[in-house]
Amino acid sequence: MQSDRRRLNPPPGGTAPPVFATVPDAKPQRPTRTRKPDEHRKLFLRTGIVPSASGSAYYEIPPQQQQQTGLLVPQRSSLKITCTVHGPRPLPRNAAFSPNLLLSAHVKFAPFATHNRRGYVRDASERDLGAHLETALRGVVIGERFPKSGCEVVLTILDGEEDGWGAGGTEVKGGGWGIMTVLAGCITAASAALVDAGIDCVDLISGGVAAVKYAGRHGGQEDGVVVLDPAPSEHDGEIMAACVVGYLQSRDEVTEMWMKGDAGTQVQTLIDEAVKAASLVRAVLAEAVKDGVQAKVGEAEDEAAMAGSAKEGKGKRRCSGIYEAGHLDDLLVRTPF
Amino acid sequence: MSSNAIALPGQDLGGEPSNTVGAGTHIYGDHLFASIAGPVHTTTPNPPSKTPSIVSITRPTAALLLPEVGTTVLGRVTRTNARQANFAILALGSTGDVVLAEPLPAIIRQQDIRLTEIDKVTVAGSFRVGDVVRAVVISLGDERAYFASTARDELGVVMAVSEGGNRMVPISWREFEEVGGRGRKRRGRSLRLFECARVKAIQQC
Repeated sequence: MQSDRRRLNPPPGGTAPPVFATVPDAKPQRPTRTRKPDEHRKLFLRTGIVPSASGSAYYEIPPQQQQQTGLLVPQRSSLKITCTVHGPRPLPRNAAFSPNLLLSAHVKFAPFATHNRRGYVRDASERDLGAHLETALRGVVIGERFPKSGCEVVLTILDGEEDGWGAGGTEVKGGGWGIMTVLAGCITAASAALVDAGIDCVDLISGGVAAVKYAGRHGGQEDGVVVLDPAPSEHDGEIMAACVVGYLQSRDEVTEMWMKGDAGTQVQTLIDEAVKAASLVRAVLAEAVKDGVQAKVGEAEDEAAMAGSAKEGKGKRRCSGIYEAGHLDDLLVRTPF
Repeated sequence: MSSNAIALPGQDLGGEPSNTVGAGTHIYGDHLFASIAGPVHTTTPNPPSKTPSIVSITRPTAALLLPEVGTTVLGRVTRTNARQANFAILALGSTGDVVLAEPLPAIIRQQDIRLTEIDKVTVAGSFRVGDVVRAVVISLGDERAYFASTARDELGVVMAVSEGGNRMVPISWREFEEVGGRGRKRRGRSLRLFECARVKAIQQC
């Protein structure tokens, strides 16, 4: 990894998290999936959380299990993503003329987001996530309504899905399946933030993830059962393949698909299940976006009512010149140039 | 609470022949769909049968995000030369209703300053750096700037400050006069109609 010269860096080999001695009678329980194979975990999604951005959203999958008493190491993992959209804003001075909106998506894990501390500079997996997200959003945004402009979608992952399960302090290693759930969450959060920013979209895009889980051996071949919304900590070591889709429900279109692993004969079922997961997520997305818009409409109406009553007072006097209103004195004195 | 139903992107708004596309909507197949989330407005024209009704969606926060051809804008002059005046668009709308998050560069060419006698107009005599102008966007322009024009009665310099730092007020359609100072006049393309412009937006920039 390139050295980051702007900060005081930790040791290049990484730092190990503290290993706590376990209380003798507390055994760390392995988390298991208690929900049905086609059931999604509960989501939390809210828009409009960053007032200074054009649009924003916060997406969270809360932890499923209770924290065990007697153990200091957190046993459960959750997913927390925050997304801000900046735009449409003018392109930089030396950029070429573009009749469409120039979309750029950036994803970054916070250094404290995963069990193994991440760096401050974006690494290859984050750039890869950004590329997948951009592919998903490109199919949804109506770019020709915003000429000569750019739009930046910035996602920060505050708490990432653990790849495996750290039993009481041992090193977490996994098959890299956590990043698929993260991508699905990123797609949904970015969609909510884009709609909050008022950027024209063809539809609400939702991200869904499904996996093929090892179920047993049958006549020399490994059987797999397809599950929706896999939490890698619950399926440690059992996932054979996983698929993420970005799905537009009203058009029944998939704008982005990423499949990892060997699904064997179940490729089509895997994609169908991922699409089903995306449809389930879309219900939450639609409700969150609607709440956000209703709050904004209510605010706009309140402001209009207040401004209306203020305007009426001024209109009574016949405006005979710009110099009449006293507050303009302050404006002209204070305006710097 | 608004009585108009709120539509979400991708929501079906009706069949194509009886409705036409308005702001915030798009056509897919032969149906109208919403592009943004907001309240739906349907305007039916007066003879109801022949012309289709226009379905549009307004953004809850701002009507426009970017200026289009024909939008009135407010901005501050940043630079002048013999042929054009550069200004930064700070707000959209004739009273600055929508304040932009980032100023957009724009140009007023010498031939677009006035409607009549355009060969006799001088840029230096019409604008000075720091003047606040109201203009209308006439073209998207190139990658660097929009093109704007002040060749209408209600367009032109709205606010100006004299060299001594005093406020200047318009005294005719083409002159500003310093208030309180030595009464020095400065020519400038000012508003023909005196209006109270809501310039709170400019104060924030």
